[in-house]
This record gives sequence, C-alpha cells and structure tokens, in this order.
Amino acid sequence: MKHLCIIFPLAGLIGLLAPAFSWADGGADLVPYAFSQDFRGRAILAQASPAAEQGEDDLGPEGETLPDPLEPLNRAFFEFNDRLYFLVLKPVARGYSFVVPEKVRVGISNVFRNLTFPVRFVNCLFQRKLEGASEELGSFLLNSIAGMGGFFDIAGAAGVRKYDEDLDQSLATFGFGPGFFINWPFFGPSTLRGTFGLVGDGFLDPILYLDSSGAKWAARSVNLVNSTSLRIGDYESLKKAALDPYVALRDAYYQNRLKRIRE
Amino acid sequence: MRSPLLWLVVALVSAGLPSSASAGIPTEQLKGTTDKIIVILTDPELKGPSQAEKRRGLIRKTADERFDWDEMSRRSLGRHWAKLSEEEKKTFVDLFSRLLERTYMERVEDYSGEKVSYVGETVDGDYATVEMKVLTSKNTEIPVLNKMKKNGGEWMIYDVSVEGVSLVNNYRTQFNSILSKSPFSELLAKLREKVSEK
Repeated sequence: MKHLCIIFPLAGLIGLLAPAFSWADGGADLVPYAFSQDFRGRAILAQASPAAEQGEDDLGPEGETLPDPLEPLNRAFFEFNDRLYFLVLKPVARGYSFVVPEKVRVGISNVFRNLTFPVRFVNCLFQRKLEGASEELGSFLLNSIAGMGGFFDIAGAAGVRKYDEDLDQSLATFGFGPGFFINWPFFGPSTLRGTFGLVGDGFLDPILYLDSSGAKWAARSVNLVNSTSLRIGDYESLKKAALDPYVALRDAYYQNRLKRIRE
Repeated sequence: MRSPLLWLVVALVSAGLPSSASAGIPTEQLKGTTDKIIVILTDPELKGPSQAEKRRGLIRKTADERFDWDEMSRRSLGRHWAKLSEEEKKTFVDLFSRLLERTYMERVEDYSGEKVSYVGETVDGDYATVEMKVLTSKNTEIPVLNKMKKNGGEWMIYDVSVEGVSLVNNYRTQFNSILSKSPFSELLAKLREKVSEK
C-alpha cells in the first residue's frame, strides 16, 4: 500500500528524534563528548579549590572552547530543530501530558532509562568504574523486579547513585578529544567523538533488538514524546535567557559534557 | 558489598540527620536568602498576577542581598571588560544585571514546593562554593553549584552552575561569539532589545 511508504519513514524520523532534545536531561541522552586528558587534569584542579579558579584579574578561567568549523551548517540545523520542536514535538508532547498524569510519565521515563542499563554498565566497565557498574547492576535488578519492570525507581528513592556513563565519556577517558561541534538535525548537539559514541551505544540499546520495526518505532516515539513532556519549558527558558541561543546551547552542551566526563 | 538494601537502610537513618556535615557561614547565608525567597513565593497573600509587582519587588530586594550582579556582569565579559570605557562598563552592567535579574525571577517564580538541600561547602580564603540539590516533582535531583565571594561580612554569589553549566561561562561564550563579529555597541543593542522583551 502506497501510504505505508510515507508513514513508516515519517514514523522512523519521529522515532529518531528520541535522543534529539535530550541534551537538557542529564540522564537520557547518549550523546558523548570528549575532551583531551590535559584539559581534564586542569579542570579537576580548578574544581578542587575555588580560589584556584580566580586568577590574577579575578575574571575566572577562560577555558577552552569547542571548535565549531561547521557553524553556518550547525546554525541552520539549529533553526530546523527549533521549528520541529515548536511545530510538531511540543504540541504533541503537551497533548500527551494533558492526558497522562505526571507520575505515570515519570514512571514511563524510568522504564526507558532502566532499559538502557547495558549502555551505562558497559561504559562504567570501560572507564574502570567498578563501583558504578555494580551499583547500576543492582539498581537495574532491583527496579526491574521490585519496581515493576523499571516503572518505580526504587533504587533511586533509596539514594543509590546514578552513573550516567556513555561511550562518548568513555572515549574521552581514553584520551580522545571531542573533535568539533556538530549540531545534528533531529539528534541535536553532539561532537565528532560524540557521534561515534551515539552510534556505538546504539548497539547496546535493547530497542534495536525488538522484532518488528513497528514495535521499534512505537517504543522510540513513546520515549521521545514522553521525555519531552517532562522537559517542556527548558528549551524555552534557554532561548529566553540567551542573547544567542545557538551559542548558549552549544556551550551548555559542552559544559555539561565536561562535568560528566570529570566525575 | 554495597547492596541497594544497605542503601535503603542508610537512607532511612540519614533522613534523621542534619542536612550538611560542613555547613558554614556561606551555606547559612545562602540558605537564609533562599528560605526568605521561598517564604515570599509561598505566601498566599502575595500570590497571583495582581500581587506580581509587589512580590517581584520583594524577591528582587532579597536576591540583591546575595547576588553580586555587578561581579557576574564583569566576569561574563571576561577579557573584553578591560577594553571598555567607563560609560560602556556602566551601561553594560546596568543592562546585563537587569537581564540576569529577570531571568532569575522567571525561574524562581516557577517554584512549586521543590525541596532544596545543601550538600556541601568548600571555603578557600575569600572564596567559597556551596552545592545545593533541588528535588523536582519529577523526582530528578538537580545539582546547583553556587560560587561565592566574601564582600565585607557578606558572602555574595558571583556564579551559578546548574548540572555543570556555569551561567557566567555560558554568557561569556555568547559574548565572545558576538564580539568576534560585531562591535561592542552591537552587543549593547542586543542587550537593550533583550531586556525590553516581554
């Protein structure tokens, strides 16, 4: 049937949006971000002592900036993602949030997060974070069994720490630099290294192994709409506060990744 | 071996203990200001759009006690600051402070009962960092790091980092980008436009 040829790619596109706007959510995104060992060392030192950051002029550390040789293209994709968010994603997410209570949406988000346990587990191992690996494993088992398939984050409620590791962070600890900024249409902000990370982590995503493409699409779409519904307002706030929202987003992405790599 | 069950026990026990093991003066002053603002936000007499101006005035006054908007403005310009005339500096600080205040106001007015806990403080001479955790209704914990500097007897905030994203650094990157392509007057124009936005 002809219309199936349109529906499935469109559905696939929507499904692909899943990681796209997750930059604001420290937990959901799989986008990696690498960073040279040298700067990481300095960053750790700076964190250790507040006064050390101050410098002579008290103007704070200038820090390294993320190279952005593709800026015009990235800006174009930024505009595209912006339209997509306001015209499609946000209205759908809002409608969804009127129908589904917040507690349920949080539960659904917990289920999806629980499913990406392999990503966090493997990357903890890559980074020799054995404590993290075991705590993630414990949380996964506890939440899956006692938490109704991950719906209830029992481990989290008990105070177990979350280790949001991904391949990008692992590559960073191996010494790979980020390369440069890439702002993907649909997927959102990333870097050269980050993109490799996204692809690599994708293989550990259980949704990839669902039998039918219909099921895959359904899962990804629900995840996307659900997680967006929990973050409506974040992007708008960023735009409202920024003089240049594109740079604000790029820098926020960058700084957040630096933090996650550090810890 | 750490098991989630052990964590459950630890969590239940520590719920009864004081919130921060190393709460010093910076934390106390920050907590004082935050608590005052929360009181204003939850005051039934100040709720609603009719009370907006009065409420915001009170919040602004309280926030001014703790936020060093001038210092934030200076740091956000970074290396460009020294190149400015006195007039330009004054205009910039005036405009940017208003933008920061307004942004802060908007975020703060979204408050709906989130629990704020103070999890750590480090002090190094006249500088300190106080870490807060904000527990949202969606059960996510947002780490907020406040960087403070001692001014007389008062610890004033000169930067706030949320999830590792420093406000000062974020604006500095934006300003650097704008100033690499256009003159300072253009930056001021953009700021003026931004501040008068609704």
